[in-house]
Amino acid sequence: MTALRWALLIAALATLPVGAAAQTQTAPLKPGKIPRMANGHPSLEGVWQGGSNRVGTWEETNTGAGPLGESGPITPYAITQRQPPPPYQPWVMKKMQESYNMRGIDEPMVRCLPPGVTRTTLMGLFPMQIVQTPKTIVFLFEVFHLFRIIPMDVPHPDDLEPSYMGDSVGHWEGDTLVVDVTGFNDKTWLSGLGSVHSEKLHVIEKFTRMDQNTIVYEMTATDPETLTGPWTRRATIMLRPGTRIREYVCEENNEDVQHYEEMMKNPSLFMRNPAAAPATNAPAPAPAPATTH
Amino acid sequence: MKSRLLAICIASAGLLLTASAPVRAHHSFGVEYDENKPVTLTGVVTRIEWTNPHSFVFIDVKDQSGNVVNWKFEGYPPVVLYRTGWKRDVTMKVGDEVTVFGWQARVGGAWGHARQITFKDGKKLYFGPAPGTGDGGKVPPGDYAPAPQNN
Repeated sequence: MTALRWALLIAALATLPVGAAAQTQTAPLKPGKIPRMANGHPSLEGVWQGGSNRVGTWEETNTGAGPLGESGPITPYAITQRQPPPPYQPWVMKKMQESYNMRGIDEPMVRCLPPGVTRTTLMGLFPMQIVQTPKTIVFLFEVFHLFRIIPMDVPHPDDLEPSYMGDSVGHWEGDTLVVDVTGFNDKTWLSGLGSVHSEKLHVIEKFTRMDQNTIVYEMTATDPETLTGPWTRRATIMLRPGTRIREYVCEENNEDVQHYEEMMKNPSLFMRNPAAAPATNAPAPAPAPATTH
Repeated sequence: MKSRLLAICIASAGLLLTASAPVRAHHSFGVEYDENKPVTLTGVVTRIEWTNPHSFVFIDVKDQSGNVVNWKFEGYPPVVLYRTGWKRDVTMKVGDEVTVFGWQARVGGAWGHARQITFKDGKKLYFGPAPGTGDGGKVPPGDYAPAPQNN
């Protein structure tokens, strides 16, 4: 293992309080006391950080020394099991290897395009705010100032055009908010580099507030054109008291597209394995979004 | 004891694999910057751009012959900086002497990606993310990955 990997591993281990990381629970922890709306449903209101498992304010939980900067105590509801990657079909794996070899130069977010649902809900670098009324729940994301409007207890409209963030409808199952998302375009990635998906992507999200600080999030994605089966993953979304959503206008000074076009003139400068990838197949830096296949 | 260690290893392995880690970048570090070319430079701030998607800090660096070269360093967007100890026009100003640690651009030149800035009073703050952010990490995807060569 390289020195860098050792350093990363040691930094990661140093941030884990031994007790919390060591729990191997066979049954899930019971929820604690949670705030509720006047109609009795759990309140999910607040400003949150997806993908974190630390309790505290933003500065307390994001200024550690490790590569992800995580710091502070870990929630008792932390998901400690390693989450499985999506079960990609072989043709998608091939695209991912090409993208990996090109270090993700084809990342759609470079053009300030919305990342889609599966990459945004747990976008840990930027907060999200949940505003909740009995008939409508709204997610406001600081990243690229995106939003999702989730009407409750209604079907999807029958006039959907494919969109980056899809169309969401919600309902309660006990104390869990279940959100059904369809109507995606094929211009975003599901997860890692090159993880293309089709317009048939279907996502079901479950949000369960476990205590004042923690939402346990479970997401299942299916896509008959790109996945061999469902992809389910769990994570925590943490309350960030005192944080407010700020404005993030990605387009205002984006030098990346031009830089990437310059780098593409000499791809051997950055390719991981210049001998392996044929130049004709090399993904170009996020041009007009391509269809999947 | 063994299962404790295993749980810790699995939890920390999760931090190393980008497939399961929270998304923390909108673009790839590795396309533009080379983590094998670290630089640490001390100079005087000539300009700061508090812009999205990246802030930039420019510093005048004197080389050994006394020539001044103006270096440009990329960092986090302001929304991230404001939450991690930075305040525009207060924390760092034009004219301040700072030390920037980061990595040089692959094409070379006076251009890099900043990780940490140290101020004259010794205070340190992160100005940008760690290397490898957004470019897929150390582990190639899936079973079809070519044998790694000189990553």
